[in-house]
Amino acid sequence: MRRPRLSLREQPLPGGQPLAFGIGLAIALFVGILLLLGAGHDPVKIYSRMFEASLGDPNAWSITLNRAIPLGLAGLAVAVAGSMGLWNIGAEGQIMAGAIAAAWVARVGGDWPGFILILMMLIGAVGGGAILAIGPAVARSKLGVNEIITTLMLNEVAIRLVQWLIHGPWKDPDSFNFPLAPMLPDQARLPTLFSRAHFGLLIAAAVIVVASVAVRYTAWGYELRIAGSSEATARYSGISLPKKILTVLVLSGAIAGLAGGIELTGTADRLTETISNGFGFAGIIVAALALMRPSGVAVVAVLFGAVQIGGQSIQTLGVSSSVSTILQAFVLFGAIGAGVLSRYAITFDSESHLTAEAKS
Amino acid sequence: MNQPSSNTDKEPLSVELTEVWKKFPGVVANAGVELAVERGSIHALLGENGAGKSTLMNILAGVYRPDSGDLKIHGRSHQFRNPADALSAGVGMVHQEFRLIPSFSVAENVVLGSAPSVIKTGRVESDVAEMAHRFGLQVNPSQPLWQLSMGERQKVEILKVLWRDAQVLILDEPTTVLTPSEVDELGQILRRMADDGRSIIFISHKLHEISGICDHATVLRQGKTVAKSLPMASTNQDELARLMVGAAPTLPSQQKGPPPGPALLEINNLSALSDRGVNAFSGINFRIHSGEILGIAGVAGNGQRELADVIAGLRPSNGGTLIMNGTDITTESPHHRFKSGLAYIPEDRLGVGLAPRLSITDNAILRVYRQQRKGPFISGDRAKSYCSNIISRFGVKAGNLSGPIAALSGGNLQRLLVGRELDGKPSVVVASQPTRGLDVKGVKAIQDLLIEQRNAGAAVMMISEDLDELLAIADRLLVIEGGALRGEFDPQTASRQEVGMAMLSDKQTPTNL
Repeated sequence: MRRPRLSLREQPLPGGQPLAFGIGLAIALFVGILLLLGAGHDPVKIYSRMFEASLGDPNAWSITLNRAIPLGLAGLAVAVAGSMGLWNIGAEGQIMAGAIAAAWVARVGGDWPGFILILMMLIGAVGGGAILAIGPAVARSKLGVNEIITTLMLNEVAIRLVQWLIHGPWKDPDSFNFPLAPMLPDQARLPTLFSRAHFGLLIAAAVIVVASVAVRYTAWGYELRIAGSSEATARYSGISLPKKILTVLVLSGAIAGLAGGIELTGTADRLTETISNGFGFAGIIVAALALMRPSGVAVVAVLFGAVQIGGQSIQTLGVSSSVSTILQAFVLFGAIGAGVLSRYAITFDSESHLTAEAKS
Repeated sequence: MNQPSSNTDKEPLSVELTEVWKKFPGVVANAGVELAVERGSIHALLGENGAGKSTLMNILAGVYRPDSGDLKIHGRSHQFRNPADALSAGVGMVHQEFRLIPSFSVAENVVLGSAPSVIKTGRVESDVAEMAHRFGLQVNPSQPLWQLSMGERQKVEILKVLWRDAQVLILDEPTTVLTPSEVDELGQILRRMADDGRSIIFISHKLHEISGICDHATVLRQGKTVAKSLPMASTNQDELARLMVGAAPTLPSQQKGPPPGPALLEINNLSALSDRGVNAFSGINFRIHSGEILGIAGVAGNGQRELADVIAGLRPSNGGTLIMNGTDITTESPHHRFKSGLAYIPEDRLGVGLAPRLSITDNAILRVYRQQRKGPFISGDRAKSYCSNIISRFGVKAGNLSGPIAALSGGNLQRLLVGRELDGKPSVVVASQPTRGLDVKGVKAIQDLLIEQRNAGAAVMMISEDLDELLAIADRLLVIEGGALRGEFDPQTASRQEVGMAMLSDKQTPTNL
């Protein structure tokens, strides 16, 4: 009897993760063709529209890049924790916490000059995300409480907090009783780079570069990677794990918080319930596709941003936005599958094969 | 070889293995093993670590497939493709590591995997209770598993196998988790099962336990059967020990180093707990002097692994003191101990000594990266040159230094690890199973490095399961058994059999040195 079996390759296939991502994208597009045909649409027309809307001209690029900012930072937050083998599933809530803190700074400093106000808002956002992560971080490092559960649950807390604020104390008196926070002051908007792309792009890029360098080249990042590879090896070499876990989880929350602050000052004009828009969860996918390497999240975030923006654009052609969500899911499935196959080979073992091996 | 006298009656043997071969890359685990177990008997399977017992039992239980050989259960030939096949032929194994679910009740654990699609809790519990009562296994079926002691959990494992109607039960070192009174109780339970017509294969190292429990013994050495179905009534512990360890090959003694200098490591009345929370070892006393290799001999699982971890600072002690170079380091961190001159080559190379997902360079600098900092950065150039230095000095065969460490062969991994640990000119070297799994060349290279350290005046502690190796390179030999030292030997004069007996029996003669 021949049974298929996965066996580890001695060397991963060349190309590795980029190839896996490409294959994932191809599988997703193929599944998309079937879906679109099934729904009675012309796939060529839909796909060319998706491409035009996301990567077709500078304006399309600017929208895609604006989307890539929160995706990239959320992905970075997950990847920094993931480098140490920790799972921050709470980026969604930390983005909201960052946005709340930034909005609070804007309320307090509404008449500050723009540069100071934006700077203080972003610092506040970093603090807000960090504060939401402190609880899970302390619980994990001191008591060993699973951070997946605690970070996940705090997402709910953050969303209720936003709802309470905009329905209650922060409700705009001029909103005709709609649950809306007031508009940000004009000087609290991040400057524009080109078309619609805003300055947050440079901030996010800088943060990703700094984090990548820190993880890859510093002693701090080295200890992080040792601990992520084997906790026993980290203890053996004298690395203090509790301290490391604490700082890394808080840092992860801070990065996600920054994403919330940039989203508020860059694209939103006020604090809303949908400020985090699923970026925190999409960030987990981004980080997974980047194999938890901070250096990989930027590219993945832009591609993922393009898929999301392209998916939104085809709604005007009468295609449900769910198609875009399904495509994103298949990119992930395909890439994970291809990633496994780049590291494992499919072999068939059978009786004849075993006896031949024994005789040789 | 002795044939069982009762083999002549008509009833087929419940287990008959003939000419079983099983090779793994680099090792022949079973080289034509023979085993015959009579119905209704308790059969001991003896052998040192690496003698091929576990491989053979995994073949019998359907976990491995043999390369060749015949497997008969109750006279019928079988080829098991998986453990389920073996179980349906009536062969069940009670593993050393329990596979139980803490939050489930005893009865739920027993029927797990073979339960009817609708579980009527009361019915299942009364069935389990009845079965437990029949064999004298005293457990409460409705009690949640986490409340049970290790001995009670073992009963649940046995019940699991009985529930699946196994006629042949394999118990892999069942007494390691038991207290002496629980061992007696287990013997009675096994006897009841044998009287019920079942056959039991009992794997153990502990000869005094076997003689009270088993009817026959089969002894394996280096993958071969050296004694088949010896009746326990006509043998004794000395003979079994000799069969297990073999005749003493007289090895040429290695060049001995300078006479021992001052004691560099003093262990005073040291105790520690195992991961299970029971005593791993207690009241251990010894000293290692400059210029000597102290060998620690013992069968795995007798406390030596925990002892090494405690010395390295990776496991807390719960009594006693550790003095290194005249200073008390009992409460110091692992890194502080390293800085004061302690090198540690752990048993688990890839996972404790090395970080498996990182590169060769990253692993090479594990002990020195703090000195290779330039501001917050680790200097890539310094790391690279340090790594190439280690690689060339210690003969590590490595291609790409930025490639993953896991791509190196076992021997090269160990050379890198040992090289890194010895690079800082340590005064005390603790090496746990440093040559296990290496090829002949690798073993020689690592042994030579340890001898070189000894000759340079370091105090070397070497833990090994390979008695021949210890007799060849150690200057002094201590035997550890059941978490206590059972004797000191001079490798120049001690016989292999003498040391082997100390390793295998638990004569209550703790040695204080």
